[in-house]
Amino acid sequence: MLPIRRSGDHRGHLVMVVTVLLALAGCALVLRAFTTPGEPPQPNAAETSAPAHASETAPDPSTTTHLKPTAAKGGSSFGPILQPSPPVALAIPSIGVRTRGIVDLHLDPHGKLEAPTNFDRAGWYADGPTPGEFGPAVIGAHVDSKSGPAVFYRLGSLQKGAAVDVTRKDGSTARFVIDRVARYSKKDFPTAAVYGDTKGRAELRLITCGGAFDRASGHYVDNIVAFAHLTG
Amino acid sequence: MRTTSKMAGIALGTAALVPFMGAGIAQAADGGTMATLRPVALNGVQANGTAMVTVHGNRVDVTMAASGLLPDNPHAAHIHFGAEARHECPRAGDDANGDNHLNTTEGGPAYGDIVVSLTKTGDTSPKSGLAVDRFDTAPGGKINYERGSINVSDAVAQAIVDGKSVVVVHGVDYNKNGKYDGSTKSDLDPKLPTEATDPALCGVLAAAPAGGMDTGAGGTSGSQDDQLMLLGGGLLLAAVGTGTVAARKVRNRG
Repeated sequence: MLPIRRSGDHRGHLVMVVTVLLALAGCALVLRAFTTPGEPPQPNAAETSAPAHASETAPDPSTTTHLKPTAAKGGSSFGPILQPSPPVALAIPSIGVRTRGIVDLHLDPHGKLEAPTNFDRAGWYADGPTPGEFGPAVIGAHVDSKSGPAVFYRLGSLQKGAAVDVTRKDGSTARFVIDRVARYSKKDFPTAAVYGDTKGRAELRLITCGGAFDRASGHYVDNIVAFAHLTG
Repeated sequence: MRTTSKMAGIALGTAALVPFMGAGIAQAADGGTMATLRPVALNGVQANGTAMVTVHGNRVDVTMAASGLLPDNPHAAHIHFGAEARHECPRAGDDANGDNHLNTTEGGPAYGDIVVSLTKTGDTSPKSGLAVDRFDTAPGGKINYERGSINVSDAVAQAIVDGKSVVVVHGVDYNKNGKYDGSTKSDLDPKLPTEATDPALCGVLAAAPAGGMDTGAGGTSGSQDDQLMLLGGGLLLAAVGTGTVAARKVRNRG
């Protein structure tokens, strides 16, 4: 009788220990689900309804009207342009971005722009124009890591007119102002609008991820792109 | 049954290939390219720029900005390509005659022949390569150039899209006297001094990045929270289960 009783006691203790452990782990996970920052902000849906696909495949109508087919335009239509100098820091006060040590990014073997390997760093497309030069300079950063927000977590909440300051290696600061923020499906990414001709302006593209997270691929399905131009 | 599944497999395989085939065709005739223009080796020009060339079939649109060039003198500018060329900008080692400057001919092995003349008006074929009266004269040392609907051959369109063409802006003032002069004649036209035609800026037109970026690991995505919630909820339910068993045991004992 006694040995059985003792073993029964043991079993009872074990069950209680398991209960406590399960309860603690369960609470921890639920708490974590509640306390982790919510989903990153997404840009205004109105912006995203733009027919992104059309702008990529069909010739941009503004190109045909803007460019005279028979003669080149004079220089007056070009905006301010800075001497080339690579970026070293980025500040976007309105969404609390302040990051130093911008890494070089290149194209992967498929011609796609690689993302920074470090979630705490922004990167720039080092084979394109430097921020402030004529053309679209590109700075990309992660929206989140596996555990929480990353550098461009709040990019989707950036508003038109917001200031973006890029400190450059030569000590100068290139100030850009946001023209628009849009969300595009990666499947239908408007390459021409994002990386194409900037019609005489020194422009900047800030890119991060958005939309739904596809657990199977380990990637978000959309990109958020902020378009900006050099002022001054 | 087996035949059916095999056929289905082939159909699926073909369906999977179609988008790639489509992309291949579209790419051949269409694409945005960009060149950062930097000083040509040995020629000592303190200038920079960017050129963007968009290809729509046999039509190309070009915009180019450069600064730091010799002001108020014509700067011939071209798109170069040669099937046998290296598709790059010339290096110091290309100085075949050893005069410590690179002339246009010496750059040939790097960038090939002229395939488009970036004139402001009229003809844009290689024939206008030295049409000095129709090139930008860089007021203030700056070129701001836009020209649309330049016709090119299939081969040239393909070379540009493939990243094998090179933009070259010519005109170097070696002796810094504000004009093209000197006793050395141009390798392209003996009526011109070499300063007028030597390459100043160069950049390979490379394909713009394709598609978007993979810039997130999902740590703040809703699905992550949902999964945590689900798992946590499951564990709590299990705790209720084992708790009930434990309580019953205690009650039994009492």
